[in-house]
Amino acid sequence: MTLSIWGVSVLLFLAGLAMVVLRRQLLAMLLGLELMINSVNIALVYTGSLWADAEALSAALLILAIAAAEVVVGLSLILKLNGAGAPVDSSGLSELKG
Amino acid sequence: MTLGWLSLAWMLPALFGAAAMMAGARARGVALWGSGLTLSLWFVLGWTYGLEGVESLSESGPVLAWGIRYALFTDGLSWSLCGLTAFLTLLSLLSSWRLRVSAAYWACFLWLEAALMGVFLARDLFLFYVFWEATLIPMFFIIGLWGSENRRHAAMKFFLFTFFGSLFLLLGLLGLVSENHRMTGGWNWDMAALTGPDGGMGLAIFLALILGFGVKVPIVPFHAWLPDAHTEAPAAGSVMLAGVMLKMGVYGILRVAIPAFPKLAWDLLPWLGLLAAVNVIYGAICAMAQSDLKRLVAYSSVSHLGFCLLGVFSRTPEGLTGGSLQLINHGLSTGALFLLVGFLYERAHRRGLADFGDLASRAPWMTLFFSIAIFSSIGLPGLNGFVGEFMSLAGMTRVFAGLAVAGVLGVALSAAYALPAYQAVFWREPGPGSVSAQVGDLDGREKAILWALTVLMFAIGLYPKPWLEMIWSAMQGLQL
Amino acid sequence: MNLVPWSLWLLIASPVCAILAVFFFVRPRKPQWSHWPILGSCALVCLAATDLTSRVYAGMVLDVPVAIWMLGGDWYLPFGFRVDGLGTAVLLMVAWVGALIQVYASGYMKHDPGFSRFVLLFHLFYLAMIGLLVSNNFVQLYLFWELVGVCSYFLIGFWYQKESARRAALQAFLANRVGDFGLMLAVLLLMAMTHGNTSFSSVFRLLPAAPTEMVTLAAFLVFWAATAKSAQFPLYFWLPDAMEGPTPVSALMHAATMVTAGIFLLVRAWPLISSIELLPQLIGWVGAATAIGAGLVACAKTDLKRVLAYSTVSHLGIMAFALGFGETAPAVFHLLTHGFFKAVLFLCVGNIAHALGKASVGVDETGGLAAKMPLTFGCFTAAALSLAGLWPFAGFYSKDSILDAAFHQGGLQAAAGVAIAFLSSFYIFRMLFLSFLGPRREQRGPGHAHEGEPVLGIPVFFLSLGAVGAGWLSGPLSRLLASGWMLRTGMSPVPDWTWNGLFASQACALAGVGAAYFLTTLRPQWDWDWRRRFPRVERLLESDFGWKPTVAAFSALVVEAAGMFSRGWDTRLWDGLVESTADWAKRGGERAASLATGQLNDYLWWMLAGTTGLLYLVLR
Repeated sequence: MTLSIWGVSVLLFLAGLAMVVLRRQLLAMLLGLELMINSVNIALVYTGSLWADAEALSAALLILAIAAAEVVVGLSLILKLNGAGAPVDSSGLSELKG
Repeated sequence: MTLGWLSLAWMLPALFGAAAMMAGARARGVALWGSGLTLSLWFVLGWTYGLEGVESLSESGPVLAWGIRYALFTDGLSWSLCGLTAFLTLLSLLSSWRLRVSAAYWACFLWLEAALMGVFLARDLFLFYVFWEATLIPMFFIIGLWGSENRRHAAMKFFLFTFFGSLFLLLGLLGLVSENHRMTGGWNWDMAALTGPDGGMGLAIFLALILGFGVKVPIVPFHAWLPDAHTEAPAAGSVMLAGVMLKMGVYGILRVAIPAFPKLAWDLLPWLGLLAAVNVIYGAICAMAQSDLKRLVAYSSVSHLGFCLLGVFSRTPEGLTGGSLQLINHGLSTGALFLLVGFLYERAHRRGLADFGDLASRAPWMTLFFSIAIFSSIGLPGLNGFVGEFMSLAGMTRVFAGLAVAGVLGVALSAAYALPAYQAVFWREPGPGSVSAQVGDLDGREKAILWALTVLMFAIGLYPKPWLEMIWSAMQGLQL
Repeated sequence: MNLVPWSLWLLIASPVCAILAVFFFVRPRKPQWSHWPILGSCALVCLAATDLTSRVYAGMVLDVPVAIWMLGGDWYLPFGFRVDGLGTAVLLMVAWVGALIQVYASGYMKHDPGFSRFVLLFHLFYLAMIGLLVSNNFVQLYLFWELVGVCSYFLIGFWYQKESARRAALQAFLANRVGDFGLMLAVLLLMAMTHGNTSFSSVFRLLPAAPTEMVTLAAFLVFWAATAKSAQFPLYFWLPDAMEGPTPVSALMHAATMVTAGIFLLVRAWPLISSIELLPQLIGWVGAATAIGAGLVACAKTDLKRVLAYSTVSHLGIMAFALGFGETAPAVFHLLTHGFFKAVLFLCVGNIAHALGKASVGVDETGGLAAKMPLTFGCFTAAALSLAGLWPFAGFYSKDSILDAAFHQGGLQAAAGVAIAFLSSFYIFRMLFLSFLGPRREQRGPGHAHEGEPVLGIPVFFLSLGAVGAGWLSGPLSRLLASGWMLRTGMSPVPDWTWNGLFASQACALAGVGAAYFLTTLRPQWDWDWRRRFPRVERLLESDFGWKPTVAAFSALVVEAAGMFSRGWDTRLWDGLVESTADWAKRGGERAASLATGQLNDYLWWMLAGTTGLLYLVLR
């Protein structure tokens, strides 16, 4: 049981990570981020419930809230970029180039 | 915390600096008042308390954190350097009286004075370091805003280079204090009570301190900032830079580095003395090759500070007092030279040796003062320079005669760089591109400034006893 | 303190007061009156010097510290006076000769625009020499020694508009500085060896306990210093060029003030010098070489002042030659008589120059002056006879005592003595005949030359009395010198002349006179002929046997090397390195900036790597 849930969590995390670093499309990268956060959340909920730890479970709730906030910020940034006619592809966004 | 007279000595110029900043068109008057009052304060305090009494003026506030406290003290050495600071600030301000500059110029000089006073009066090492760094800021602006053509570059170089040195100083001070903490269990920043550790750590701290102070002196090879900064600074800025700021380095060595590591300084004497001897010769040789009058004087400073170091490192009574007196002497004679070059520059906007000629018949007063200043600078007995040089060398001869040879060679070489330049400017017939025709003689204000310096040069040269006694009393307290 | 007689205070105070008074009060208002306070001070100095001498003659010797100059802890340096036989003997000559030259100078320079400056510097020069003679310690001596150098610098360069004057002044000061290097180092070494003592008496007393090598080094350094000030080989070369100053300066410098200082120092430090083996001999040989070499060069010079200058170098060589035999008294004696006759010779040349309206005179511009300027001719002849060492003039007595010692040594020394005696009488009489007899075909002749004002004649006349008669005082001088002499063995008196010595020296001198007469008057064209026929010889003599070009090349080399060091190392390499740190930082930044591609995913890769590294570190 433990192994399978942790396995799922790790798999989801790696999938999210791969989406973030390999994909160039901003929406996909945002999705990847969400995936990573939630995979961690799964592990947290499971591990917290093993010890019936209220603090861990409330931390999971906090993470959910943060993930939601992050989606709001991320999506609004993407929308803004889209509205300005800029590509929603990360390879086009190279203003930080040194 | 009650503030005493010593606090006033640095706060007075600081406050007047702020007032000058806000005074707009009347800034120079405010600044003159400020520096005049500071000099009077110095004089009155010294007069009323006397030499021993001045030492009783020390102040010590409560501990703020980690043993750091606001603590000031003074003795013959720092008191005479404070006097030099106040005196040269007043003369610098007077010398730039006619300049059309903003209020910030006058404020910067007063802030510089305040910071320098703080350096010489601080007892707490943290406070010392704060003042030490604070001197950089007004000087950076003085060079960078009111200097000549290449001022920005020179200001940046000056700041970065000396800041680089200051970092080593900070490292050394922190090392000193934390090692002391490790040994005694208490935090102590009192520069008079700290002793450094032995062994490799001690050596590292000592070298960091010497490097930190040495950049300011400047000890060759850390002198690269000096010629540019001196050359590009306005005349009054060069006076403060050479006259007082270079002295901070030697003061620090005397006050912090050697008392904390007396044995190490003794063991390293040949090497430290070698550095000093190299300074003397190196400065003189480079000065011989200069074609810019100000640059020449700047390199001669390198040479002269070498004499101070020779005396200080010898750690004999005559070497220590002579080396310290040489700090003041160099302030006076080099100050006079920079002022004169500044007056030349004000009139003709040139400083090259080739730009002038035959000034002896056009500007006899200028010639007279320049002759006295340059002969004081090359160590003519009877003028102040000789007393300091000779005592420093006498001290070094007693402990390490071989290095004194280099010093004496430097005395001989000094004539070889000073006199050709003197002749080129004052005696030689003007060349085709000469601007001598624009140079008129000194006016009353300028003459008064130079008379003040010249009288002191003669006074110290012929009767240095009071000064030497004052410095010696300080040296006894330092446990060198 | 009350031991110090009033005359000693007067000796120092009156020139100081006169100089201050002239500078602050007379010069701003009436610069043309500058000489009056100065001449008054000269009179007081002469009075004081005479009084002191008579006291010392009566047996007083004074060695007192009067004030503290420098101090640091238990180390201190006093100001002090030492009045003894040696000091006063020279002092008396310096005071009187110097005073007369100043009288002369106040007439000679009256119309110069820098008259007031000249008078001030001239008196300071005089004061410096007087101070040097009454110093009781090495550092104070060094003070006045340097002051003499500085005054000479400004006086030689007095006419700074002339290029040659500027160069000569610089050369004089730098050559003297090279010598001062020796003196300062010697003083420092002596101080270090004697626990901070500087006064002559205590230093010489403590020397036997000091390490021998250091004492030897110090003694050699003292001699090195003397070679500069007293114009001995290898540092003599500044003196002939120092002619560029006004003639009274040359007179004062050559006769009384400057060049005598080196010989004085050697005699003053004789307890030190004589304790070193072979050093006196070395001094003697250097002196002989200088005397002969400069004598030969003097024979070929055409500028009158230059002949006299080389003759001074030669005569200083004679004094050093005497010191080589340990004959201190004759050396001092010759110093004194030389002061008188050399002053006369210079002032006579000054008179000729003044009459011809020039600053310096060559042989070609003179000839046949005897009839037009009889007083000058007479004084010059008396001084020339004295210089050549002919009986009964002053130079005979002093030079004879030296030659006598040389003949006693025999061998090379005797030969050197003969050569010196012959050469000095030859060059001075060559000059005398060439300028006063004639004129010859190549010369311009006397023209409208005439004697100058009385102020230019009277001092010369009085000085030539000294040049004639100073030699008769050898007995009193010996007694004077013996008082306060610091060697326990005492100073041997000036020897009486002997018949053998008389014949030998007179024969040499007369041969010189005869040769000069033959080559200038009986063969009047010879002086111009040989230059045409032997140009190489002339070039050799003009270049001082190649030494002058060597010195010039050496100093050019030093300047060049300093320039190369400063430009190549300090500016280009080291400062360049420092300056380039900004470039290095910039280039490094650019290199590092290329890592920032602007691609979000690249940053994420970096982030991933960083997080992994951190995780590894934490979990390890």
